[in-house]
Amino acid sequence: MTTNRMVRAASASLAALLLTGTALAADLPALGPLPPAPAPSDNPTTPAKVELGKKLFWDGRLSGNGSMGCVACHSPDLGWGTGGAISFGYPGTQHWRKSQTVLNSAHYNKLFWEGSVTSLEGQAEAAAEGGVAGNGDSAMMEMRLRLVPEYVAEFKKVFGTEWPHISDAWKAIAAFQRTLNSDPEKVPFDRFMKGDQTAISAEAKRGLDLFKGKAGCVSCHNGPLLSDQSFHDTGVPDNPVFQTDPHYQITLRWQHYQKGVAEDYYRKGTTDDGLYYVTKRAEDKGKFRTPSLREIAYTGPYMHNGVLETLEAVVEFYDKGGGESRSGTKTLKPLGLTEQEKKDLLAFLGTLSMDQPLTVKEPTLPESRPLPRAGTTASEAPAAKPASSHAHHMQATPAAAPTKKKD
Amino acid sequence: MLHQSHVHQRSDGLGTRAARLPIQVGAVALMAATMLALSPLAHAQDKASPFAPLPDAPKINEARAKLGEKLFFDSRLSGDTQHSCSSCHDPAKGWGDGQPLSMGYTGVEYFRNAPPLFNIAGRKYLLWDGRLEGADLGTLVRDMLTEAHTMNADTRIVQERLKQAPEYAEMFEKAYGGDPYGGKIYGAVAEYLKAIRTVNAPFDRHLRGDKKALNEAQIRGMALFAGKAGCIACHSGPMLTDQSLHALGVPENPMIDADAARQTTMLRHFATMGTPNYMNLRDDVGNYVVSKDGKDIGKFVTPSLWDVGQTAPYMHNGVLPTLESVVDFYDQGGGTHPNKDARLRPLALTKKEKADLVAFLKSFTGDKPAVTKPALPEYGVRVVGKN
Repeated sequence: MTTNRMVRAASASLAALLLTGTALAADLPALGPLPPAPAPSDNPTTPAKVELGKKLFWDGRLSGNGSMGCVACHSPDLGWGTGGAISFGYPGTQHWRKSQTVLNSAHYNKLFWEGSVTSLEGQAEAAAEGGVAGNGDSAMMEMRLRLVPEYVAEFKKVFGTEWPHISDAWKAIAAFQRTLNSDPEKVPFDRFMKGDQTAISAEAKRGLDLFKGKAGCVSCHNGPLLSDQSFHDTGVPDNPVFQTDPHYQITLRWQHYQKGVAEDYYRKGTTDDGLYYVTKRAEDKGKFRTPSLREIAYTGPYMHNGVLETLEAVVEFYDKGGGESRSGTKTLKPLGLTEQEKKDLLAFLGTLSMDQPLTVKEPTLPESRPLPRAGTTASEAPAAKPASSHAHHMQATPAAAPTKKKD
Repeated sequence: MLHQSHVHQRSDGLGTRAARLPIQVGAVALMAATMLALSPLAHAQDKASPFAPLPDAPKINEARAKLGEKLFFDSRLSGDTQHSCSSCHDPAKGWGDGQPLSMGYTGVEYFRNAPPLFNIAGRKYLLWDGRLEGADLGTLVRDMLTEAHTMNADTRIVQERLKQAPEYAEMFEKAYGGDPYGGKIYGAVAEYLKAIRTVNAPFDRHLRGDKKALNEAQIRGMALFAGKAGCIACHSGPMLTDQSLHALGVPENPMIDADAARQTTMLRHFATMGTPNYMNLRDDVGNYVVSKDGKDIGKFVTPSLWDVGQTAPYMHNGVLPTLESVVDFYDQGGGTHPNKDARLRPLALTKKEKADLVAFLKSFTGDKPAVTKPALPEYGVRVVGKN
């Protein structure tokens, strides 16, 4: 069974669930604390690999211009995203979707809003090489790593190779990301589910009932991850920037072009159609992967294009029955929530994040050194400091956007 | 006017065109013929004269060249919109960047000299290591736009950037009858490159019959060039190059050994070309990355000498800062390399001879390009869904 078919099968069964409403909520995967993050058998997580992956996550060498490392668009201080609606993207370009949090991403079976890759390893590579993300060339990134003696030693220790291989860099980054998970001890809802009745308020408890009942959220946000890992067309409105800003329009057309849609779609496409780009089937237009609701206190604004700024706006959106369907299969219905019910629901949503945001101390990045000629040693060669992704992140924020308009 | 009725035919040596033109080298040619008789290269060439005027201007498609001119100066053709072709091929710097080693893309340091573009349509090989076919300028442009060490662009993004500028959309329509598209972008820049020519060089005027074009020192230098100094063995014909590859033993540029970023681009280039044992290479192996034949280690394309007065510093890695230092390099018989061309021997030139030779070299230099950055089209807002 191909991935696309699996996706479609999952979508179909979910649609059936939605049609029968909340009556089947009891049959959905149960809510509860996350289990330990799974790791694929070909990339077991080890402490040394995680340490290496952490440095690589911060290292701008893994990008085209040497300063757009993973952290540039996945900043620990901004919920491991950019904190904005649509990610800024590679300098000179404009991204088209919201940068998703890295937290708990180990639990997804597919990555990116349209589920186009099936592993964190594949996600790291695709993001580092994507034209509006890292814009890196794999051979260049690999060679940069080989000119860093500390990396050469660490890759050898972790992967057993004489020289760093770029595919192992993605493995190390994935291993690091698998350590970035909500700590059940620090999440009120998880403490509540483990029996601490005082962990969440009475309001939140009523909100949980609404979540599982009248509001129907649990139809899609279920299981420990609070995501069904499936794809749905909720009719999220377009972000208006695509109507008004040339840079967004460039990216929208580029995405359609490079995703291999038919020419007619490229010429007439007006919006981001999510899963459609993977399956090329009309019934998948406008479908995006259900995001986890864990850590949502730190990961706004919301939806694939960040058009809903607050959780209040998200609740209003669903209360109205979502937006206009693009797939032709409207499954969301108006909920008729009272003001108190909305407050209760929001109180519950407020229990799904850690008491303090999960952050990681920025690692010190190792220096590059030219390889010695025979008869000399590496230490005789001058060292070069790595470009800090953090510094570039500051440059790449919209404040520096005028560089895009220079020409 | 860019248009010329005669389409340039590339020649590896001296074509018949050279013979029918008034040649003013007289005794020099005789001396050269005597000297060249010893050289295997000589037999393939016209015995009447080792020199020929500039190749005729290639036929140019005006609409495409005009579009290509704007594209050449437009940094939206690079990944981060910070580099245009002109960043490293600046007409004010002899269509190079004036640096020993080119800067390359953001976050990158390159490991070779940015070659000048004068008369580029007349070359048999492109790039210092000769990895591209000279007739295929479009592929050269594609490589420069997409290579991680030069402009690092996803040209599908470039295509959409250009489409976003109404003036460009119109120009593509006019030049090609359609939307901006990869091959059309490369082709338009290539068309513009064909128009980059040496203009009004004294030596070209001399070859075309202007008896006052060269001064006495230059006339003496010409005789040395074709005689005692033996330059003519490799720098002959309408392009002042044998269109071949040679190892001269040019010293390695120490900036590469000293800089991890430059070594990175060099070894990465070797890696992507499938060069054997690339991680252990420290010298620039030149054409070896193309042929994988040990005999080609250290060989680089013989550059044209037209406009050489505008294109310092010299050699594939810019280690020789002046024409004087180039003459000194050859006077000592070149450098040291296992594959060094056997014809390179110490020349024992006198100080005066060296000065005459440099004076003659300067006669290859034409006017400064009368080129300025054109106004570039601005983005407009399109109606989404009407593309």
